[in-house]
Amino acid sequence: MNSPPPIRVYLFTWLALIGLLAATFTLAHFRLGAFNTAVGLAIAAAKVALVGLFFMHLRRATALIAIFAVATLFWLSILFGLSGTDYATRRITTAPWTTPDGH
Amino acid sequence: MNARVVPVDVPWRRETASLGMWVFLATEVMFFGVLFLAYMHARIVDPQGFAAASRLTHEWLGTINTGVLLTSSLTMALAVRNGWAGHRRLVIRLLWATAVLGLAFIVIKGIEYGLEWRDGLVPVLNFTYSGAHRRAVETFFFLYFLMTGVHAIHLTIGVILVAWLAIRDRDPARPVRRRESAECIGLYWHFVDSIWIVLYPLIYLVDLYR
Amino acid sequence: MSAIAAPLPTVPRESFLTQGYTIGSWLGTRDHKRIAILYAISITLFFFLGGTAAAIIRLELMTPQGDVVSADTYNKLFTLHGVVMVWFFLIPSIPATLGNFLVPLMIGAKEVAFPKLNLLSWYIYVLGGIFTVAMLIAGGVDTGWTFYTPFSTMFSNTHVVLAAMGVFIVGFSSILTGLNFIVTIHRMRAPGMTWFRLPLFVWALYATSLILVLATPVLAMTLTLMVIERVLHVGIFDPALGGDPLLFQHLFWFYSHPAVYIMVLPAMGVVSELITCFARKRIFGYRFMCYAILGIAAFGFLVWGHHMFVSGQSVYAGMVFSMLSMLVAVPSAIKVFNWTATLYKGSIVFTAPMLYALGFVGLFTIGGMTGIYLATLAVDVHLTDTYFVIAHFHYIMVGGSVMAYLGGIHYWWPKVTGRRYSEAWGRVAALIIFFGFNLTFFPQYLLGYLGMPRRYHEYPPDLQVLNVLSSAGASILAVGYVLPLLYLGWSLFKGAPAGPNPWNARGLEWATDSPPPQENFREVPTVTQEPYAYDPEHPER
Repeated sequence: MNSPPPIRVYLFTWLALIGLLAATFTLAHFRLGAFNTAVGLAIAAAKVALVGLFFMHLRRATALIAIFAVATLFWLSILFGLSGTDYATRRITTAPWTTPDGH
Repeated sequence: MNARVVPVDVPWRRETASLGMWVFLATEVMFFGVLFLAYMHARIVDPQGFAAASRLTHEWLGTINTGVLLTSSLTMALAVRNGWAGHRRLVIRLLWATAVLGLAFIVIKGIEYGLEWRDGLVPVLNFTYSGAHRRAVETFFFLYFLMTGVHAIHLTIGVILVAWLAIRDRDPARPVRRRESAECIGLYWHFVDSIWIVLYPLIYLVDLYR
Repeated sequence: MSAIAAPLPTVPRESFLTQGYTIGSWLGTRDHKRIAILYAISITLFFFLGGTAAAIIRLELMTPQGDVVSADTYNKLFTLHGVVMVWFFLIPSIPATLGNFLVPLMIGAKEVAFPKLNLLSWYIYVLGGIFTVAMLIAGGVDTGWTFYTPFSTMFSNTHVVLAAMGVFIVGFSSILTGLNFIVTIHRMRAPGMTWFRLPLFVWALYATSLILVLATPVLAMTLTLMVIERVLHVGIFDPALGGDPLLFQHLFWFYSHPAVYIMVLPAMGVVSELITCFARKRIFGYRFMCYAILGIAAFGFLVWGHHMFVSGQSVYAGMVFSMLSMLVAVPSAIKVFNWTATLYKGSIVFTAPMLYALGFVGLFTIGGMTGIYLATLAVDVHLTDTYFVIAHFHYIMVGGSVMAYLGGIHYWWPKVTGRRYSEAWGRVAALIIFFGFNLTFFPQYLLGYLGMPRRYHEYPPDLQVLNVLSSAGASILAVGYVLPLLYLGWSLFKGAPAGPNPWNARGLEWATDSPPPQENFREVPTVTQEPYAYDPEHPER
């Protein structure tokens, strides 16, 4: 195998992760409407990408392993996406005798 | 024995073990994915309820815990990296640091669970919340305990594996066999960390600004 | 058959079978070949357990009234039949028996990538089986193998938790098998064995393993959620708690539809091996077959909603799933066309394995086409939950997968045991099974079209004739299934020695002794030939 990556790669990755954590925590305190969730998940995705690429060595991995990593996420998105076609397009008509859905 | 000597077929063993672990991680992603779908569904049904529930979580503890876990990933990655470079004693220390940080996470989580018990937010066992969106809050906390619980079980297994590794390789006189075990356990550890990274905003940061 | 005078083959003195005769040497083995035999014995036991349940069902359905068993017992019977046949027979059948034995041999390897995990997977299978038998002894479960909520979570008074635990556990057995095959096939091929020189059986098992690994964990977590909701009454499938019973169905079928491809893809792999050998011809369109195999595995994940057309899911989702279900038929059709083209101008020999393979092609085609009817949204509204559905999936699972499994067992029997079985009896059994199968299940298409619902222990009297035909067929089918036990068992003691390649087949597994030595090959082979290098002009070569 080629030589191990320099230690600074790991340290910088960790710094970036902590930075993103601070960012996501801070941003959550501001009212951004729908963007709160989007930003939170985007930052989470960035953190996972950093962990994957640098800590899990995906950047230097063979194509095979990279394909497995990406394919897994894609397969998960099938579960979410196609169930989503149901949940996004349902029209709920309540029967007249039901009580209003209380919280 | 010189611990820096690397046997000839190690690259093959390393690639093969890594592939095996990545395939296993794929199964774990699909396993956890079900819970994330359940979360997504419940949140769509009552987003206000989920926001109310999320505000009842202890975001400072959660954030500190995230930092702890991210740092444990650093120590683990450094342990694996230095393991390939052959620095035995440093590796053992890094492994123990990882295990200790993992345990710290579990302790902090336990403290959080204790606080949630005190606040009467544990479904089935001690749920006394009577504010608005009661049903959504109960569903949220059910998913919270289930998801963080399954995560904690995985983390505990990780801590045991890391400790095993530290103990297995502790004797500097005996050569390290199967260095790829460390790499595989490292992959598992980072995966557990990644699950938490995605869980964190979904649990602690929903409409926090209110 | 070769007419050249050659020395009569003998059973080799040393083989994987002679490395230890104690129970311990079998129960603690790391040899993939022994693990395959352990699995074969276990799944045969479960096959007959599931078959017994089916026999009682067909007995009940001989008369329109529910007079053999009560409605509750009937529910438990079809649930047992489904649970056992799906998870303890069909899913492990070809992968864990033929696959475990043959994959390392076919790729020129000495072992699988993780031999100890392989043995562990068998023990997990046995543990899951113990839970299932415990569930049976405790009184059974009546939810159907599909465990739909809210019946399973709120209203059933039977041993749902035990059943779910049994299935949960056995799922991990499948996951480990799949993981092992993926890594083995990627990393342990012999020199020269490139991907496009692999036998289609290996391609099929690779694709199956991908499905095993990606789909089964979803089932595991879904069953966990169902059990939690049943036991703790907090959950996500109960509308009164803000949940959705359809969420269970989405999650369950996300696994269970790909599961049917787990059951059929290995069978297709077997059929490709049998047809090429017994038509003495290379497969038509090898690369298309490979892409079709991968396509079936991939598309199989996109169609699960076709089990939910009338469940209450959004009609737009139904349309999406209906269209995607049409697409998944395309790669399957490509395979059927290619098998047919392979047979064309081949030198066909009607051995018992070939009879099973030909039966597969015909019956899978019928089953597959009726799948298209069911995938058509509007037609499915009429046919759903009727015997039409039952006939459809039994044509594929029994007319397809089981026949392919039996064909494979017969084909590789000489390789595993070193003995030849009686070809005459083999052909007789194959024909009895083919006839019995069609008599059992073709009337069920008609019954379904006429509206007979599934999972009911009684029916209107005017449907009795078709039901009696079906039950008669089932008794013939049962005879056909028992016969191989007898003549294959006989051959273990009295069968003629087979020699390394009794069928004069191509493939690395035939380049070593029968039975193979423990390390599979005395020297690691180097591969230079394309697969299926047969010559129909000279079938004896």
